[in-house]
Amino acid sequence: MARRTYQEIILALEQYWADYGCVLLTPYHTEVAAGTMNPATFLRSLGPKPWKTAYLEPVIRPLDGRYGENPMRFQHYFQYQVILKPQPSDVLDLYLESLRAIGLDTTRHDVRFVEDDWEQPTVGAWGLGWEVWCDGMEITQFTYFQQLGGLDLDLIPAEITYGLDRLAMIVQDKPTVFALDWSEGVTWEDVYRENEREWSHYNFEEASVEMHQRHFDDYEAECKRLIERGLPLPAYDFVLKCSHAFNLLDARGAISVTERAAYIGRVRTLVRAVAQLYLEQQQEAYAEPVA
Amino acid sequence: MPNLLLEIGVEELPAAACMEAGLQLPELSRVHLGVTPSELFLGPRRLAFPARVPERTEDEWVKGPPENLRERAAVGFAKRYGVSPDELTVRDGFLGLEMPGRPIEEVLPERLAAIVRGLQFAKSMTWGAGFRFARPVRWICAKLDAKTIEVPLDGVPSGGVSYGHRTASPGAVEIPSADRYLELLRAVGVEPDRAVRFEQIVAGLDALGPWRDPLGKLDEVVYLVEAPLVLAGWFDERFLRLPERVVVSTMQSHQRYFPLGENRFAFVANGGEPDVVSRGNEFVLRGRLEDAEFTFERDVAVGIDGLVERTKSITFFTGAGTFADKADRLAGLVRELGGDDAAVQAGRLAKADQAAELVREFPELEGHIGATYAGLAGYGENVVQAIDEQYLPDTAGGPLPRSRAGAILAAADKLDTLTVAFGLGKRPTGSRDPFGLRRAAIGLCRLATEGEVEVPRDLMPDDVRDFVEERYEGMLDVPVEFVRAARASAVPDLGGVARVAKGLHAEAQSEEFAAVYEAYDRAHRLAGKRDDAADSIDESLFEHDTERELATAVAALDLDPADVDGSLQRAAEVAPVVSRFFDDVMVIADDERVRGNRLRVLLDLRDRLGRLGDLSQIPR
Repeated sequence: MARRTYQEIILALEQYWADYGCVLLTPYHTEVAAGTMNPATFLRSLGPKPWKTAYLEPVIRPLDGRYGENPMRFQHYFQYQVILKPQPSDVLDLYLESLRAIGLDTTRHDVRFVEDDWEQPTVGAWGLGWEVWCDGMEITQFTYFQQLGGLDLDLIPAEITYGLDRLAMIVQDKPTVFALDWSEGVTWEDVYRENEREWSHYNFEEASVEMHQRHFDDYEAECKRLIERGLPLPAYDFVLKCSHAFNLLDARGAISVTERAAYIGRVRTLVRAVAQLYLEQQQEAYAEPVA
Repeated sequence: MPNLLLEIGVEELPAAACMEAGLQLPELSRVHLGVTPSELFLGPRRLAFPARVPERTEDEWVKGPPENLRERAAVGFAKRYGVSPDELTVRDGFLGLEMPGRPIEEVLPERLAAIVRGLQFAKSMTWGAGFRFARPVRWICAKLDAKTIEVPLDGVPSGGVSYGHRTASPGAVEIPSADRYLELLRAVGVEPDRAVRFEQIVAGLDALGPWRDPLGKLDEVVYLVEAPLVLAGWFDERFLRLPERVVVSTMQSHQRYFPLGENRFAFVANGGEPDVVSRGNEFVLRGRLEDAEFTFERDVAVGIDGLVERTKSITFFTGAGTFADKADRLAGLVRELGGDDAAVQAGRLAKADQAAELVREFPELEGHIGATYAGLAGYGENVVQAIDEQYLPDTAGGPLPRSRAGAILAAADKLDTLTVAFGLGKRPTGSRDPFGLRRAAIGLCRLATEGEVEVPRDLMPDDVRDFVEERYEGMLDVPVEFVRAARASAVPDLGGVARVAKGLHAEAQSEEFAAVYEAYDRAHRLAGKRDDAADSIDESLFEHDTERELATAVAALDLDPADVDGSLQRAAEVAPVVSRFFDDVMVIADDERVRGNRLRVLLDLRDRLGRLGDLSQIPR
């Protein structure tokens, strides 16, 4: 069989996890710096309700841009994200099977689960798990969440975050991300390299510091107002927008060491409040009916 | 005795968790089974052990209520154990019940579950079962000879089945009897025995040539694989231009590779096709080295003097200025510690690499990276070496700088860090020492003794000096009282405190020491706690010759704490005069002025002798 193109890898993962029973979602509509921050993971992992989902997520990390000159680092790249809540006892086997489904022969390669605990103090989150190595290369982050937004979880989800670029390099046996076949006759470079160049210019040089500072303040105020109104889902979007504004300011070099801690503290306060509100509403909705 | 096997099937454990389990399993087995395992099999996917267990548990006598409460309590107690009150026996005034031992297989399910639950990990998680573990427990395999023991453990499947290698042979493996466990797992490509894996890995590495493990990764690697496959790879020769330790750190810290010299490395896989796996690993290493090279070249383009410039905007400690400020202070301190021009130059450049991008990626190589850049910029060998050695010794027993300039710079660096941190109130408390001040103080003490750096004690503020000198109490091979005595001596340099402590201890059994000690002790006990001594001696108030004799001897007594032996000799010569003084003279005279004058003579005596230290600290 011909080696799968990038888009065929995505399709194979979609099919595999749909067959397993996941709700297939699309990328979130505002910038996130990790698939974990999509509310389909972050909020849905809270509360007593089981949930299975899979989705492609373009992650936006302004600071990681290299003007399309470094073939391994980008300010925009793809993760494929799977959440299985609660974690099934054969979850690692399911994962290995998904690698075979995209054409990675797990008997030819050295696939290993290497300790890597995940912690994101900004959003009060941590979990234990692994980075999955294929011949020494990290291809996936696997985490059993233990806390999100500073809250213990009722059901422990397994989070599988595939690094699609690296996975595709192995499947297609290509030395750089640029050279990956996106589809038949079209490379990754054809699709995204100019995108990297222009956005790197924007992130590092053109982004308006004054505007993003103002936006951060506005988004924060809006988020707080929405929390008071008992609307955690819209409030959470404004957390994401704050977070992205912060990342842009950071890339612009507009945040000093002391300011940095203050900004992070403001985001953390918002995240925790939203998570708390969301959880309270979930627990009310799923509480045992009183006899 | 029947042969028991317990296997705890887990998702891939961290190496540290395997080690923790290895330390706890023998004791847990002893507590719950009464025997210790004959072997331990520890690895990423299974913790297992065989043990010879007795066929029955021991007979027991279960203690019940006191005999004098028989009427009220006997029935209830008997009922709880399903026996008639007549069957109770009496021991030492208590009712009780003879419980004959039970067949071991009846108690094993609960006891094996208790062993699994009893394991504690520094980092543990929940996954839905009712107990915590380092990673999820997915199966239990327990056999007593050919019998399968079902272990009740919150729904974790338990039976007589194990599982093979994660990717090469993932299926179930029926274990028909405990003694066939190893053989059957080896047949499916799993080596459960850590010691055997260790030997396999070492043999595999040896076969590839001389290998190195400077960061000590072998002990970890042995817990990361079940089927060790030792392979070699190459990287492009051009990366040999990078500082060697950067290359080694790239290989070892993250990838856990073993340098084979030149541009070759070894690594341990857990399976796969050797060619495919080697090529993949070579690719990963190339990517990492390219990153390092990119960063290295950017730093070199800036140059060490450009980096120094950049340190003007990098904070060292909030409240203590930038790294550029620190470098200025270091240059000054190096001068005061007797450093030559090269050492002073090294001080100015010492913190330049705090602005280097490469240090952000390899923080463990700070100092070394700066030294490399100084070398590339043409600074002399002495300067380069001193920069390289500035953080030594970085562990309690670690090596010291080899160069004089390096030792002086290292001492200056520690002095500055301690002074700044104490000045900002960051003194270590209890076990909390986030700035590594204890390590810095111990390092400074070692530099002052073994490193022969003369560190003037008056360079340190009082609290720093106390903190640093206290370290000697745990470092020198003499009782702490001698260190305490020496700390009060007049010796001017830090290393001198150690020398005086050792000198006093070496002489503690000599006649001279005894004589001096007695003189000091008598003077101190009589005069030390009074407040009516005169400010100075008035010879016109002397009434006895011995008074004058003692005052003259004391005035001539000039002890040098740098020479403990000689000083004790000379001080001992005064001892007979002191004895005569106490025989002849009534110190606490009625006349206030005479008394004050005599007390002054004694205090002067104590202080002159006290240049050797506060001898009263030493128990006799």
